[in-house]
Amino acid sequence: MQCAEHYRVQAYFDGEVDAVSAVDIERHAERCAECRALLEHLASTRERIRRDLEFGAAPPQLRARIMRMLDQEAGVGDPRGAARRPTLWRNRPFWLGAGGGVGAALAASLLFSLLSPSLSLPGPLLDEVVAAHVRSLMPEHLTDVVSTDRHTVKPWFAGHADVSPVVADFAGQGYRLVGGRADYFDHQRAAVVVYEHGPHFINVFTWVASERTFPDLTTRSGYHVASWRVGNLQYCAVSDAGWDEVLALVRLLRDAGERDQR
Amino acid sequence: MPHLDAAHRFARWLSRSGSDADDVVQEAFLRAFRGFDGLRGSDVKGWLLTIVRNCHATALKQQQRRAAVPLPQEDDEQFSSAPTASTPDPESASTADDDKRTLDRLIAALPQEHREVLLLRELEDMSYREIAAVTRVPIGTVMSRLARARAALRVKWLQETPGEPRAVR
Repeated sequence: MQCAEHYRVQAYFDGEVDAVSAVDIERHAERCAECRALLEHLASTRERIRRDLEFGAAPPQLRARIMRMLDQEAGVGDPRGAARRPTLWRNRPFWLGAGGGVGAALAASLLFSLLSPSLSLPGPLLDEVVAAHVRSLMPEHLTDVVSTDRHTVKPWFAGHADVSPVVADFAGQGYRLVGGRADYFDHQRAAVVVYEHGPHFINVFTWVASERTFPDLTTRSGYHVASWRVGNLQYCAVSDAGWDEVLALVRLLRDAGERDQR
Repeated sequence: MPHLDAAHRFARWLSRSGSDADDVVQEAFLRAFRGFDGLRGSDVKGWLLTIVRNCHATALKQQQRRAAVPLPQEDDEQFSSAPTASTPDPESASTADDDKRTLDRLIAALPQEHREVLLLRELEDMSYREIAAVTRVPIGTVMSRLARARAALRVKWLQETPGEPRAVR
């Protein structure tokens, strides 16, 4: 035989009742031993589930598989895709049909930004950086020059980008230099240095800083974005690696930059 | 990809198989992307989990058709005879790992309609209203299923872990 109030007690426990009812239920529980025991049981069950049940993250292969799928879905490999990349997607909810010629990365980043709770963050530039990062992870997009030698990567930028960024290999510290790439955004050819850290890639973008402000550390569509300035150069590291891992590379790069200047 | 973890977690608990869950989640993202199921309101997570749930139901139907032999309905009767052979003996039942496994197994043995409301409430911290939207039942039904799921879990937990002190009076 269960106390007639047990649904209300449960709703109270789940935070589903207003303040007036809450007081009422608390008063009832003071008198009713059965409902007190129920509350204890509810609390211990919740504690056990939240402590012991697996909160595991989705496997990285699944993440990659879905990226590839959205990639195909949006028609990557369609040469018109790149040309028709404009800001169409910004104004158009994807459930109205975002497929077709819209660039895959942008379509994908659109999905991600829709799924992201931080829609209100300022900075279309930030969107561009994250979109460029996502695009780089698609097959054959990661690097234009593949080299673990900074003396190959750095001069390559001279002919392909508008800036000459810090390039160094930190394999010893767990950040392997994979290569470089030039990306066009913010109206210039940005240099991108790619590092590999465990299962993660970290894209480090460098371009001539504009007046537009950039948040130092922010999360966009689930990607961590750390940015800093050296002189008139804007650096920006983007990755799905954890904050600690991204920031460790940022420190290494800043130290290396200071050494270069001396 | 925010909510991918939640989607995968939910799919895994629905299908009780990692590889099936992967397929279900992939299909769900595709459907979300194509916009088969329009997003109404701003509850993106609930919307996505609803799609995951639909995809799981579709996959289950296909499996059943392929099998040509109807799978038993998930009801309490079936699960009252859920495996108990692997029940750990009382001596080792006190270790944290065994507790985790026991909890896992007991939740897996709940009927799906009980299991899903429990997990959406406790793991995903969703409100009754949000859970009702995902599971397509009235809020009152969410409440009664939640109560039954919790009660069943308590009873089974006490049966499985006799070493643990019972309700202290």
